Amino acid sequence: MAVALVIVSHSQQVADGVRDIAEQMAGDQVVIRAAGGAADGSLGTNAEAIARAITEADQGDGVLILVDLGSAVLSTETALEMLGLDADRKVQLSNAPLVEGAVVAAVTASTGQTLEEVASAALDAKDMTKVVR
Amino acid sequence: MSDNEQIGIRIVRRIQSVIHANTAELNAFDRPIGDGDHGTNLDRGFTAVLAKIESQSDQSLAAVFKTTAMTLISTVGGAAGPLYGTAFLRISTAIPELDGDHPRQVAAALTAALGGVQARGKATTGEKTMVDALAPAVEVSNAAVEEGADTVLVLERAATAARTGMEATIPMRATKGRASYLGERSIGHQDPGATSCYLIIQAVADVVRDGSTST
Amino acid sequence: MEEAQFTITNSAGLHARPAAHFVRTAAGFESSVRVRNLSRDAEREADAKSILSVMTLGIEQGHIISITVDGPDEAAAIEALRALVEGNIDK
Repeated sequence: MAVALVIVSHSQQVADGVRDIAEQMAGDQVVIRAAGGAADGSLGTNAEAIARAITEADQGDGVLILVDLGSAVLSTETALEMLGLDADRKVQLSNAPLVEGAVVAAVTASTGQTLEEVASAALDAKDMTKVVR
Repeated sequence: MSDNEQIGIRIVRRIQSVIHANTAELNAFDRPIGDGDHGTNLDRGFTAVLAKIESQSDQSLAAVFKTTAMTLISTVGGAAGPLYGTAFLRISTAIPELDGDHPRQVAAALTAALGGVQARGKATTGEKTMVDALAPAVEVSNAAVEEGADTVLVLERAATAARTGMEATIPMRATKGRASYLGERSIGHQDPGATSCYLIIQAVADVVRDGSTST
Repeated sequence: MEEAQFTITNSAGLHARPAAHFVRTAAGFESSVRVRNLSRDAEREADAKSILSVMTLGIEQGHIISITVDGPDEAAAIEALRALVEGNIDK
């Protein structure tokens, strides 16, 4: 079992796409769920869909939530309030950049690390070296 | 109970029609300091809310406001979704009924709504947000209750205070949300969130006043 | 402590998915695993169990990497990483 991820974006395509990339990096050990777009498919975030994604993702080892920007944070916090999770459910909202954070979190989660370690690695993705000269 | 059922859907109908009529204006307020879609987002949200409520069997105020909350958070899309969603969710648990005279519950519901918005958005007054309309409405409604005002008067005073608060956002510099990126350039524009907040409180006040004069 | 040097033969180098495989394999061992890219900057060392760290090395096809393993299962770790890098890591 590993830490699970939830990808939140204003766009369903972005959320699904980031999930696909992270899944490919993580192999099949990590559960990743995407929650993108408003309920009618327009750009936006949807606390209900986010809450559902968190519930589906949660395997008991913790869930790291990665978001794109703006209302994604408010909607995720609303989802967490709606779920009213027990204190022993480990869920963290990450400040990491979405794509880089998701990839790093997925790989780190696939190595069996704890939620704190996965969250910390995702945050370090802010400084990811992409162009090595 | 049947009076109660009626007022819930009447409130939602009025809010939806007011927001719909002001969609372009809310977008215009949002354009210089936001994404220009506040009206469109809320119109989409309240239109979805009305459709849901018309088709649900439980028309009690608590159920109507709960559905309003859940629908707004899933359909509005922008920050207004979770903010108004949380506000209506708190209202749904704070307000058992509105018909008849319940000024204290109305003030308590507004207070609960403000608590929800502040818990979610972490905004306080003076930051050019919906809190600048809602907070004075809460303050005035609680004061009106202490003076012995009835439900209609409490809501009318709340709406007036919200309107004054909304207008007071014009000279403010935004420090929360998308508008805060603009810094000084946010000054001189009326806040769209404070505007929609005033419109909603005024809509509720109008429905309750009309209901009380017709009976 | 054991050290080994491998030549990267797969076309993508140690980027993206191959890097993830490499990191997962290294993380499966108790020993510490450090990696350097001798073809780019032999002084710079990265934690082979950290994807971010490995990605800073810019390991490409044809590069020679050095792996330093220290711990109770160091021999097994070297062999597993060798098998991975010399096998078809792209898959």
